[in-house]
Amino acid sequence: MFDKNYLEKVREEKEKWEKLYENLKEREVKFVSDSEIPIKNLYTPLDLKEKDYMEDLGFPGLPPYTRGVYPSMYRGRLWTMRLFSGHGTPEETNKRWKFLYENGETGFSAAVDALTFNGIDPTNPDGAPEVGTSGVPLYCIDSLFALTEDIPIDKVSVALVVEPFTSAPVCAMYFNMAQMRGYDISQLTGTTQNDILTMTVGYIPYKNCPPNHILRLACDFIEWTVPMKNVPRWHPINFTGYNYREGGIDAVQELGFVFASACSHIDNLIERGWKVDDFVGRLAFHLAAHKDFFEEIAKFRAARRIWYKLMKDKYEAKDPRNLGFRFHVQTAGSSLTAQLPKVNIIRTAIQALEANLGGCQSLHTNSYDEAICLPSEDAALVALRTQQIISDESRIHNTIDPLAGSYFVEWLTDEVEDRVWKYIDKIQKVGTIDKALSTGFLYKEMRDAFHKRRMRIESGDEIMLGVNKFPVPYDDVTDVFRTNKEAISIEVERINKLKAKRDNAKLEKVLDKLRNICEKEENVMPVVMEATKEGATVGEICDIYREIWGIWEPPLAI
Amino acid sequence: MGTTFSYLVLGVLRMSEKKIRVLMSKPGIDGHWRGGIVVSRAIRDAGMELIFGGFQNVQQIVEAAIQEDVDVIGLSIHSGAHFAYTQEVIDLLREKGVLDNIMILLGGVIPAKDFPKLKEMGVANVYGPGTLTKDIVEFIRTNVKK
Repeated sequence: MFDKNYLEKVREEKEKWEKLYENLKEREVKFVSDSEIPIKNLYTPLDLKEKDYMEDLGFPGLPPYTRGVYPSMYRGRLWTMRLFSGHGTPEETNKRWKFLYENGETGFSAAVDALTFNGIDPTNPDGAPEVGTSGVPLYCIDSLFALTEDIPIDKVSVALVVEPFTSAPVCAMYFNMAQMRGYDISQLTGTTQNDILTMTVGYIPYKNCPPNHILRLACDFIEWTVPMKNVPRWHPINFTGYNYREGGIDAVQELGFVFASACSHIDNLIERGWKVDDFVGRLAFHLAAHKDFFEEIAKFRAARRIWYKLMKDKYEAKDPRNLGFRFHVQTAGSSLTAQLPKVNIIRTAIQALEANLGGCQSLHTNSYDEAICLPSEDAALVALRTQQIISDESRIHNTIDPLAGSYFVEWLTDEVEDRVWKYIDKIQKVGTIDKALSTGFLYKEMRDAFHKRRMRIESGDEIMLGVNKFPVPYDDVTDVFRTNKEAISIEVERINKLKAKRDNAKLEKVLDKLRNICEKEENVMPVVMEATKEGATVGEICDIYREIWGIWEPPLAI
Repeated sequence: MGTTFSYLVLGVLRMSEKKIRVLMSKPGIDGHWRGGIVVSRAIRDAGMELIFGGFQNVQQIVEAAIQEDVDVIGLSIHSGAHFAYTQEVIDLLREKGVLDNIMILLGGVIPAKDFPKLKEMGVANVYGPGTLTKDIVEFIRTNVKK
């Protein structure tokens, strides 16, 4: 980017500065990024000498998309403020959604409970005490009516945070509900998380099926919504690096997991006979904004460039709309502490700024009580206001990609990109993403990451204020938000009522059809649509998966 | 066994001196697993014998604790359902007559406000977010029921 003679002058001047620096004593701190990239004391034009502005940066909305996925970015439209929320019952969650909507939220996201995640009905004693304790229970179609009552789902997009094991039944319930309400589902917008890695390494599955079947379910859902054009504006998958990043892996591994997984899904759809341009533009991503300010920004910028290269060089996508990497961000829950919870507001604000400076399309900010309980209304409102301070008061949106051209940010973006390519290779050498799971490879990577992070925190290398520096007792002052204790009886009653009014003989026939389809290589979605319309519960659908495919025990590593 | 985990018996073989035996279990179906694994590793690294039960229902936890003759049961609960599961485990241990021999520890996303009640119920100690694992190891060494 610079003239050779000019760079020579810079080098001479830099030598003078280095002489000055030589005699100075640095603090006893390791100057490395969170993913252990060594960071130099200063970056100059010399670090960018190989760079080409047009090739490496370009313009927003144009290849290689380093500067943003849309031409006008936040000058045209702000990111979607989408708080992940759900608790107690669908009715209570509906109230919380409306409260946030009235306060300026611009997208909804349903956090579901452990039973919904695992396809377990509340009538099953295994998980009964957990009904509604960690998210909203969505066990049958009636729950979806209650969740979205008076919500303009044709105008505001809804994210359903369910994974491949239950994405077909839960989303089928949602689409059926929308049709019964008179909406045209071909016009609906929203996202299904549908991420195989969330329910395997992000979160341990309880009585789910083996990864090859889970991958099939994820791809069935993508295929039915987008290339088969049933819900073509839907984002049928959201590769959720956030969830495994929270387990302790670093920024480079986060993108490595995400892209390796995305390639496996794309390959699967291509094997089914689709062209990459038929569906790839609707794939979405969900990344973390963690503690290392510049590394996270570099990660977001690198991710756009990597995706562009993957689409153009590896998959030869032709439609320019299919080359852009669109992503939601969540600030890092694992960076927050139960000690001094109000300090979490500041941590979250800094991380939200990373996401916005990195050009995210949608953002969830965590609540200050994140480390203690599900968010109280007060804490959720502070989290939303945090985004609004950035959008309405900080003026960061005045120009696009304001950090571009920073010697350090550009150098770090390149460095993260190089390391991610190497890590993608490492995963792909093991095989497709279901193989990387079933062989235990990804579990070992997670285990090593847990261990390394624990050692860093226990040794004080990684500072957590209130925990290992200026420690204070675990806070017992902050109000604790409690979920509804009656949720279990409310949900059991909801299911019993549904079972009383449905045509059980007819449903049995549909479920037999599903058994049949599970044994073949045919898309499960049409029959899951039919079954949930007839009143099948999520647990009933998943029991058929278990019956046909068996239960998988993940090869955990300690 | 009906769980999605198989038992992973880790740690050093029993030698002449009895090692402290710890069962680490996740009651219920919530899959937040990092805490349980991190603490398991720390317990194993400290030279104790670790039996990793993974997902277990209350019956399975108590059976495993008796069969494996453990000194400590560690329950990892992140779902908010800590009162329900802990009470069930304690009740069944009492019914089987082994409650007095076993120390119960609880860890997870558990509000500090709940600690006193959980201790009253019979939990020896509760570990919330931000716990350093060396504190857990030290507590077990000092307080294990002999």
